[in-house]
Amino acid sequence: MNDSKRLAAVLESFLFVAGEEGLTLKQLAALSVCTEGEVTEALDGLLAAYESREDSGITLRQYGGGFQLVTKAEFAEDMKRLFENPPAKLMTQAALEVLAIIAYKQPVTRVEVDEIRGVKSERAIQTLASKGFITEKGRLEASGRPILYATTPYFLDRFGLNSLEDLPPLLLENEEEEDTDLFLTKFQDMLEAQDEEGGSDA
Amino acid sequence: MSYNVKLEAFEGPLDLLLHLINRLEIDIYDIPMAELTNQYIEHLHTMRVLQLDELSEYLVLAATLIEIKSKMLLPVHEGDVFDDDGTDFEPEEDPREELIARILEYKQYKEAAVQLKESAEERAVHFTKQPSDMENYGSIPQADPAEELDVFDLVSAFQKMLHRRRLKAPLSASITNNERSVGEKMDEIMGVIVRKGGHCVFDELFEEGDTGGLVVTFLSILELMKRRDVVVRQQGNFDRLLISLAIGGTEG
Repeated sequence: MNDSKRLAAVLESFLFVAGEEGLTLKQLAALSVCTEGEVTEALDGLLAAYESREDSGITLRQYGGGFQLVTKAEFAEDMKRLFENPPAKLMTQAALEVLAIIAYKQPVTRVEVDEIRGVKSERAIQTLASKGFITEKGRLEASGRPILYATTPYFLDRFGLNSLEDLPPLLLENEEEEDTDLFLTKFQDMLEAQDEEGGSDA
Repeated sequence: MSYNVKLEAFEGPLDLLLHLINRLEIDIYDIPMAELTNQYIEHLHTMRVLQLDELSEYLVLAATLIEIKSKMLLPVHEGDVFDDDGTDFEPEEDPREELIARILEYKQYKEAAVQLKESAEERAVHFTKQPSDMENYGSIPQADPAEELDVFDLVSAFQKMLHRRRLKAPLSASITNNERSVGEKMDEIMGVIVRKGGHCVFDELFEEGDTGGLVVTFLSILELMKRRDVVVRQQGNFDRLLISLAIGGTEG
């Protein structure tokens, strides 16, 4: 067996045992006594092999910074036959909105979340905290020292994100800028026209 | 038992406003305030029948809409755009500006929530397993000491543990009896006071026990006072309370 194949196999066995805890690149490198570069290469190979193998139900994913072995999406329906009770609905629309605001603006206070939604968010915040998606992250040094909330690594995992940078970019409304641009151009034109008038008079 | 019904499940006043803007195909940058305000208030009337909890928040926005609408009815000062020197330009502020900004910000996060949901759904089709229990093979060193852990790692570890416990929790619960009834506790307190020579400091009776136990102790003291078995005294303001056996016993 050559070295790179051996490394891939060793990594696979570590990941098998680690399960949903996952292992970071750093941990894998330390465990396999290889460089992070070598590990990355081996993981890439492992992933490609899983994806191309039709007789494998397992593949590799990176969530919340950790690599883990997961079942392939295409067998999700088959997997569900394994469970007696289908999992409950993920969460309410209200909780999702609150989670989105916290994810993008963290660390953030409850009042800021309330202001954006125009409605109280206390209950949703409690639910999210009890499910482990968000956690308290210190307090804002302002009057009342309100609690700051931030998302957890568990949130990243459950939402299939590797890091907060993987959050889809907020859709910006560009129309507004275009509008002001249009207005400004028109205004500039008007100014120039007036200047010209003034010039011809003199 | 009352049931709360949400019409078309609006997540708040801004959500309702956004819904109306979409339905009426309004240009969000040029909102016809009169039309929007009317539609909004019409919706509120329907919702009032349902006694929605968040009605007050909807009313705050209704007030804002009416304020903006009335501001726009005021004649705009049509003075010279330019000052005398022809340089300074002060546009009239559109009273709708702040509202538009709020709606747009809310819209952003509402859309982000949809995307988050999609990404959670994509994640949910991949199943994984709990870490294997390797206890029989020896212990696995926990966490790389080179990686510094802070209090938040502890918190998330705790949350993870709670989560697992919830998953493993049996679907039945057992109810334990109160350790002591008030009657038993009363006897015990009397015993303590007698042992201590007829006097006892209030705080000493509360040195141990869970919340339930503490409450029972407190109730017992109240009961003893009511029966005039004990007298509670205080030397001065904020002094410690002193519980003594009532002199003359229970004859009163």
